[in-house]
Amino acid sequence: NLLCHSVCLLLAGVECELYNEEYMTCMWGSREMPTVNYSLFYWYKNASNKGVECKRYLQDQGVRVGCYFEQNELIQFQSFHVLINASVGGKTLEIPSKRMLLQDLVKPAAPVNLTIRNMSNNQLQLTWASPYPNDQCLEHAVKYKSNKDTSWTLSVNGDVFSLPSVDYEKSYTFYVRSKINKFCGSTLFWSEWSLPVFWGSNSTSKGPPAGPPPLPWWCAVWGSVSPLLFPGTVEEQLYWFGIRTVLVPIASCLLLLVLVILLVRMERVWVILMPRIPNPSKNFDELFITHNGNFQEWAGVPKDVVESFKPNYSENICYVTELPPKDSHEPLWDSSNHAPPPMPGPPAAPNEHSPYWNSYGRV
Amino acid sequence: MKRMIIFCMLFFCSTMVLTETSPRRAKYRQILRKIEELESMVKEKDAELLYTPENFVDGCENTTVTCFKKGILKLQPARSQDTPKFTKAIRIVSRFTAKDKQCNATPPCESYEKKTPKNFLKGFENLIQMLFKN
Repeated sequence: NLLCHSVCLLLAGVECELYNEEYMTCMWGSREMPTVNYSLFYWYKNASNKGVECKRYLQDQGVRVGCYFEQNELIQFQSFHVLINASVGGKTLEIPSKRMLLQDLVKPAAPVNLTIRNMSNNQLQLTWASPYPNDQCLEHAVKYKSNKDTSWTLSVNGDVFSLPSVDYEKSYTFYVRSKINKFCGSTLFWSEWSLPVFWGSNSTSKGPPAGPPPLPWWCAVWGSVSPLLFPGTVEEQLYWFGIRTVLVPIASCLLLLVLVILLVRMERVWVILMPRIPNPSKNFDELFITHNGNFQEWAGVPKDVVESFKPNYSENICYVTELPPKDSHEPLWDSSNHAPPPMPGPPAAPNEHSPYWNSYGRV
Repeated sequence: MKRMIIFCMLFFCSTMVLTETSPRRAKYRQILRKIEELESMVKEKDAELLYTPENFVDGCENTTVTCFKKGILKLQPARSQDTPKFTKAIRIVSRFTAKDKQCNATPPCESYEKKTPKNFLKGFENLIQMLFKN
């Protein structure tokens, strides 16, 4: 019956496409579908509300065949579930779909602004831009053919396409399309082919072209430098990173060393950074020049002190004695009739004959 | 001479700045390639089912990566001649870490559904793809 027929068609699957991450369409039918009332409910696995109804249905001759989702209804990297209710004559059948991941359903917009440049060695370079916001997530495919070829040549590559050698008598046509690469999702959809770009002379032109146009010098330089700056594979990139983290610090240290050596050579800068230690020797000119480094002489130390410091100094021992007075047996002073002996006053001129004489030792 | 020295010092400083750009995306690309390799070599028949995080919680990336790393160690190659390549890929993937921006409450690894090794690896691939894209 009608319901079973529609279920059979639906079981072929709901097909959803996230167009350039701007909106999504989920289609379950076509004009061949029987006239049954369909409604779609969707939810994300962790969402609080189970089963929000589609806000904008896509219709084909009055039959709902799809649903249009706005950007704010879309969440990537979360399980997305859809339920279709097919109802006719009071009976409703629920057809759930399997779990979907929206990042695997992205279809980017077709590339735009295709540009061809002449490089050295008869090489053509094709570049383009993409309306998709994240360039790192894209891989591209180029198809081209000359006016003499019968089939297209397909090439899958990165951001730039080079055709190694071109025949200036042929005209070429190029198309490009994009797909989300495996680093951002596991998608199957390629974008639509871009608008074509043409190059070369037509067979109806007057004669062969004069030759390749003169090449600006920076083009050749860029052509040789760019493969070094933009390596292709992950291993090459990691290799380059390893080189950069090891070689660049070493090179920088060597450069620093060179700079320090240059600094050393530049006396004027060196004197500011490393000032000369002041030399006080001018104050000691007299010591060094006049007295020839003889500190004791310069300081004015007396000669006998100098002599005394010499290690092998010897001094004669000088005996000092005091001789007793000549009349040593004189009786002791008698207080009765003798005058007290004269007090020793200031000595008279020493006289040999004087009863008292001292001998002084010389020191 | 003076100008040359100033120029050289500026050049030296700028090279130091350039080396600071981290190859975060290059690392994610490498991990994704290794997961792809593992998917081609992993043993599916009679293999243990593994807890597979999904619907990743924002800010808890490293916690989720840790759950995957626990499961990775239980994987086995389908053919013994793939063992050296398989072990090398496991080793590279086990060293990978992410950053938790702000993790409040993350469900434990055992709360997730158990899946076959290939679906487990696809789940891991989804996580790395999310990190790469953001």
